[in-house]
Amino acid sequence: MKLGIILSLLFWSANACAATDAKALLEHADRARGGGLPGIVWEIKLTSRDGDKVSDEQRFEVRAVDDASVAETLEPARFKGSKLLQVGRNMWLTRPGLSKPIPISPRQRLSGEASNGDIAATNYAGDYDAQLTGDEAVDGEACHVLELTAKHKRTTYDKIRYWVSVKREVGVKAEFYSLSGKLLKTARFDYGNTLAHNGQRIPFVSRMTIRDALLDAETTMVFGTVQVRKIPAAEFDLGQMQ
Amino acid sequence: MGGFIGAIFSLPLLAADLRWDGALYGYAAHSSLRADSVLNPANLIARLPQNSSTAEARFNFKAEGEGLRLTARPILLAQDDRNSFGSQRQTDAYLSQWQLRWRASEAWSLAAGREVLNWGPAQFRSPSSPFYFDNGRSNPMRELSGVDALKASWTPNMETTLSLARITGSGHVVQDSWRDSWLLKADQRGDDWAAGLALVHTPGQGAFTGLHGQFTASDALMLYGEASSSTRASALQSPADAALPFSIAQRSFRRTTALLGSAYTFENGQSLNAEYLHDGHGYSAVEQSTYFTRAAASPMSAGLSLGYAPSLLGRDYLHLVWQSNLMESGGYWRTMATHGFTDGGNELSGYVEHAISGRVTVFALGVLPVGTARQESSSLFRHSVTAGLKIALH
Repeated sequence: MKLGIILSLLFWSANACAATDAKALLEHADRARGGGLPGIVWEIKLTSRDGDKVSDEQRFEVRAVDDASVAETLEPARFKGSKLLQVGRNMWLTRPGLSKPIPISPRQRLSGEASNGDIAATNYAGDYDAQLTGDEAVDGEACHVLELTAKHKRTTYDKIRYWVSVKREVGVKAEFYSLSGKLLKTARFDYGNTLAHNGQRIPFVSRMTIRDALLDAETTMVFGTVQVRKIPAAEFDLGQMQ
Repeated sequence: MGGFIGAIFSLPLLAADLRWDGALYGYAAHSSLRADSVLNPANLIARLPQNSSTAEARFNFKAEGEGLRLTARPILLAQDDRNSFGSQRQTDAYLSQWQLRWRASEAWSLAAGREVLNWGPAQFRSPSSPFYFDNGRSNPMRELSGVDALKASWTPNMETTLSLARITGSGHVVQDSWRDSWLLKADQRGDDWAAGLALVHTPGQGAFTGLHGQFTASDALMLYGEASSSTRASALQSPADAALPFSIAQRSFRRTTALLGSAYTFENGQSLNAEYLHDGHGYSAVEQSTYFTRAAASPMSAGLSLGYAPSLLGRDYLHLVWQSNLMESGGYWRTMATHGFTDGGNELSGYVEHAISGRVTVFALGVLPVGTARQESSSLFRHSVTAGLKIALH
């Protein structure tokens, strides 16, 4: 009987440690993609290809904190000044001269394979339960494999398999799944940026490439001019978007 | 206005960031007017243009410094209208919107300027805003100008905003009906919903109460609604008894206007909106019929009918919008259909724009009312077509 209790405690303790490790790992990986920061301002260059058809390059200035973001279009010139506001699962599109903001559903993609949520700061640790499921190399780099399950319905994806570098502790690859387990997209991440925060220099995401799992379609987002900045809540108020 | 734009350019002294963009519009429109119109027989009452050519420049300036932001949207317009009576040329230069905003603290901001005080998720009409019941969404070329206001906003967190505004004028319009109004606006947001309440007091008018809300039911489905309780100033009364004359009430009875809508987004990003509007200020079927009968009686009655009629003649409408992905960079299209239950009239319209380069977009709008001269949507013209191009400047 006593042995059973001890074994149960050991098993519970091992599971709890693995869960804590997975969460800590995820928090660390999030930081290199804007998560856990007081606010982030970055510029994103986005290019999309669907088969042979290549869309115009788009450029956005994004301000993001937690699950709120505002993406202002800088290019192409014909959309300059358009803003996409996201607060939780609420999303609105505004354009200069438009009589009022248009509410849009989360299914409206930003462009190509990129969802609206892909441009915001990543907070996987807050949005997903993580479980460490093994180790696997990606392009020769040893990685932990995490299984992420959405905690709530406002997440962009229901499930994610996330490869986190053992050495660098940043996410290098992800697979995004629907609730039914269907693979929707895959993504790869580069960390060519460096950010100074709280006296530390941390590697920071510089490129995200998203591929459709079924179609020959790909979207690349290049992240530049990254600044950590506290952003007031009013910046995400629809009534003050003018 | 020149002085104001000059002030914007001198702002770099206090601003860290100055941005601008603009677009040139050139478009031509043709309307086929009804020869048998009851409200506007032989175009003698309204003298509507049958053909028009428009050139417009619309600019956006933004200068931003430490806690201060100045924005302005000047418009330069030249329009040539032609009908069987001759042609008329008008030019105009005005500030459609502008605002000087000071962020006093993280939560508080103060603003002065000319702002489009419009809100709510509805596309067909905006019942929850007293200033823009017709929100211009059916005509993508239409420029909606702001009202002049001083505004204090309090946003303590991501969920809540409270604003108090003093309306000092109606902006760039001839009638100054909103001067000295007060607006109190409260907005609350949750994870997947957002709602707002607007209270407006205007001297000499009944209080306006507006509500709007939206709920994201799933990734694809959104449900929304807007409603208001209000009175109308200078309201044309159309008694059901045709023997009685029109009368103009200084203030109409209090009525409720409500819109319920849903939007479904397909996998390809296209979306379909369905909206049902009940406008308590509109006429019943009998009142609407007698309205046309009286208008046919004399040109004076027709003039009254056109000038003082409610914003929508009927009471109940269904409005459908099917549109392409709003964020598609190559182009955009939108088809709209409106059915009026009060008189059975219909209106179909379509808008399309296609980018031929990073800066140049061609566009066209077509409107086709289906019905008789005594139905609201088809009472003035048989069809209209607008086509043109837009050049992004910067």
